[in-house]
Amino acid sequence: MQEKRTMWSELRDLTDDVDLGTPPRAGDLVRLTVDDVSVSVPRGSSVMLAAARAGRSVPKLCATDTLEAFGSCRVCLVEIDGMRGYPASCTTLVAEGMVVRTRSEALTRLRKGVLELYLSDFPAGDVPDGWSELHEVLAEVGVHSHPYHGGQDHLDSPVDLSNPYFLFDPAKCIVCSRCVRACEEIQGTFALTIQGRGFASKVAAGQDEPFFESECVSCGACVQTCPTQALVEKSLFETEYQRG
Amino acid sequence: MANPIKPDRSVITTCAYCGVGCGFKAQTAGGRIVRMIPWKEGKANHGHSCIKGRFAFDYYQHPDRVRTPMVRDSIDQPWREVGWDEAFRFTARRLQDIQARHGVRSIGAISSSRCTNEEIWLVQKLARAVFGNNNVDNCARICHSPTQFGLSATVGWGAASQHFDSILKADVIMVVGANPTEGHPVFGSLLKRRIRQGAKLIVIDPRRTETVRSPHVEASVHLALRPGTNVAVLDSIAHVIVREGLFDEAFVRARCEWDEFEVWRDLVGSDRYAPEVIGPQAGLDPADIRRAARLYAGGPNSAIYYGLGVTEHSQGSTGVMCLGNLSLACGMLGREGVGVNPLRGQGNVQGGSCLGSWPHVFSGYRFVTDNEVRAGFESDWGVPLDAEPGLRLPNMFDAALTGHFRGMYIMGEDPVQSDPNQSHIIEALRAMDCVIVHDLFLNETAKYAHVFLPGSSSLEKDGTFTSAERRVNRVRKVVEPLAGYQDWEVVVKLMNAMGYPAHYQHAGEILDEIARLSPTYRGMSFALLDEIGSAQWPCDENAPQGTEVLHTERFPRANGRGTFMLTEYVPTRERTSDQLPLLLTTGRILTQYNVGTQTRRTANSRWHPEDVLEISGGDAATRGIRDGDKVWVTSRFGRTQLSARISPRVNPGIVYNPFLHAETRVNVVTSDLSDWATNCPEYKVTAVEVSLVGQAPPERTAAARATPEAVDA
Repeated sequence: MQEKRTMWSELRDLTDDVDLGTPPRAGDLVRLTVDDVSVSVPRGSSVMLAAARAGRSVPKLCATDTLEAFGSCRVCLVEIDGMRGYPASCTTLVAEGMVVRTRSEALTRLRKGVLELYLSDFPAGDVPDGWSELHEVLAEVGVHSHPYHGGQDHLDSPVDLSNPYFLFDPAKCIVCSRCVRACEEIQGTFALTIQGRGFASKVAAGQDEPFFESECVSCGACVQTCPTQALVEKSLFETEYQRG
Repeated sequence: MANPIKPDRSVITTCAYCGVGCGFKAQTAGGRIVRMIPWKEGKANHGHSCIKGRFAFDYYQHPDRVRTPMVRDSIDQPWREVGWDEAFRFTARRLQDIQARHGVRSIGAISSSRCTNEEIWLVQKLARAVFGNNNVDNCARICHSPTQFGLSATVGWGAASQHFDSILKADVIMVVGANPTEGHPVFGSLLKRRIRQGAKLIVIDPRRTETVRSPHVEASVHLALRPGTNVAVLDSIAHVIVREGLFDEAFVRARCEWDEFEVWRDLVGSDRYAPEVIGPQAGLDPADIRRAARLYAGGPNSAIYYGLGVTEHSQGSTGVMCLGNLSLACGMLGREGVGVNPLRGQGNVQGGSCLGSWPHVFSGYRFVTDNEVRAGFESDWGVPLDAEPGLRLPNMFDAALTGHFRGMYIMGEDPVQSDPNQSHIIEALRAMDCVIVHDLFLNETAKYAHVFLPGSSSLEKDGTFTSAERRVNRVRKVVEPLAGYQDWEVVVKLMNAMGYPAHYQHAGEILDEIARLSPTYRGMSFALLDEIGSAQWPCDENAPQGTEVLHTERFPRANGRGTFMLTEYVPTRERTSDQLPLLLTTGRILTQYNVGTQTRRTANSRWHPEDVLEISGGDAATRGIRDGDKVWVTSRFGRTQLSARISPRVNPGIVYNPFLHAETRVNVVTSDLSDWATNCPEYKVTAVEVSLVGQAPPERTAAARATPEAVDA
């Protein structure tokens, strides 16, 4: 049977403590260099995965090793000899002899620029003391504030509290599609979509219904993968949810 | 302040709901469980989860949890709260009194597939070493006992031949009498993933379940057979395979008993199993039976997954044998991507099955009548053991009504709620002198008990579960037991109160004893499981980290060969009639677990606040029933009230109900027939009539039994 490349069976190579960024692959090995570290990974692996294996993990938001690469957050940019610009390490596949740099002034500038934009549309009160993947990446790249004020934001979007077990706060959503992809690739229910375009794009359950009324089966895959706690367990709050 | 509480501690454990055995990290903050998150290294779930394991954990601190032991002299008295020591003394004295007056075989014990392996082990040890008889049974009796019998007879072991991940190498997946997307959701997701990758799907099930059709998944063949015709349809599939020469002759000659194959081939090859004959009986298009047969035999890798829709029939064991036969004939065993796999309903049905919680066998299905095996147990346990097989669960109840069986210890089970023919069981319980219920909640059975011992949830104890893929997973204590003791400690103390010296420092020492006395578990230990996460039995010196795929070189039978069982179709005696023209079948839904003891005490009930009866539009219309109407469901055995839901999932002539809510008690309706070999009840086929509440219900065709209303009064 012909395998669709977007599905994978190397589930057992996942480990709890390391997020390789993209799914592990099987097959013959390709050798490359990441920040002067030589590393071999199976053909079909991403540069992001090779960097993680080399101990040079690249900051990322829309990528995780339980989902196929998507290439939307623009945080995981790297420099690769012989390639123009700053390719996204999640969607770029390894090649024999490739030379990759994950840290440089230019990369830091680009990552900071992107992260400041995310931060500008995130509830300011929830930046200190937060502990999501987003908070970790902000700290790692050294972004603590942003220069944008008075622009449009999503901070008035109503919170969906309909599901008894988890809530969805669109103000914290960065539209990375991890929830949508988890619902499709992991759970196989296809209950979530990204609706609208550009600034208006948002995560929608079913026909833009409350989660509880949609075909969502509450498996928790979206909550598990959300990097910003826009989707989060209600059990983690002692009192009624208040956006920060 | 909208940032969530950050958990300060995380304990890796195993979900106690269905038989998939998902690994979870139970996270606590300030000693309280704040969330369960799926463990990426869990071999069954790889970081995925379903609503039950992920979210429905709050039952553990529900106010209904009993926190103190209780006793009473008779069941019409109120409960009296007592300390543990008094409860053990009371229980031991009563049981010993019964044995003194009525003989050692007058009491018995029941364990549950919700219990850990260590608890199940101790319960059978309690019966054999302390009670001095073999009156021990477990709830797998009412679900998967035919699996044990049917698979042992054909391929040698009554267990899944594969690991779950094996499905990712399957080209054709045949699901029989199971609805994994609701009953075993995490495996259901893996199955759907494989279908989206291009594997073909055959579904044999009376209902158009979500497994049959969902976004980006559609069965190539759905055989929506009439309930009760499994064996006929499977024989008909076999008919096509032998008549069209689609079987794997090389495999059968190399790995199976050829003579037995020929006898079987002659049986299923006979004209009476032709699809053109069976199709009309089963309500199927013969062409679909042929397509299913050709797909399955064509593989190249075909895998069978089946559930209670196969086992809970009067020919349940025969149905399982049909599946064993098919896989042997087509060479679909002994490698990844193939196999025959029961989908087990409860967290530890496999453990319940293979650890000797049966009246006739020790662990590993070794007979109590075998002097050599018994001697091994006698020397380890230091007491002589009874060589006579004990009573099965239904026989215990029967014996209670004749006065020969008078005391029963029930751990983690609710037979009044979950066993067939409730009124009979209630009468039997009322006839006993000492019923001990050991459970989280005051369940239905506790109404008829003299001793209530508060149990510990799986979040409050150490031990192991054996999942449907034979995988032994660690259960780890996350919080302290609410009532003070882990369940295994309670059994040990009861043993001690009855004068038997049992001493274990921790649950791992019980697993060590299991390993010492059970060949397939020989290599298991807490140390191994803590190191490698989990291991599938057989685990021994030849397979120190366990075994993923069974039967790769030989079958675990005396001559190493698989064999074919004769599977003549015998229709169930449960038939429709003019008065009872519909067939009722039962099953699971996603949000609730079994009879719902746990999940009904969580927000999962928001999705299914009540039990419903699915009925086809035509059947509803002819009875004047509209969606949501209250209806009576009446059988030869009893009647109950449900809300009708008009559903395209069921064919005309079929109605469907999930078995969940104590209030509706559908088991008052279900038949008293059972599997010919194992007594597994025929939950899946009952002739009924459905009528609007308010209108006169149909006359009961057999009025012999008390109505449930009368019993309650």
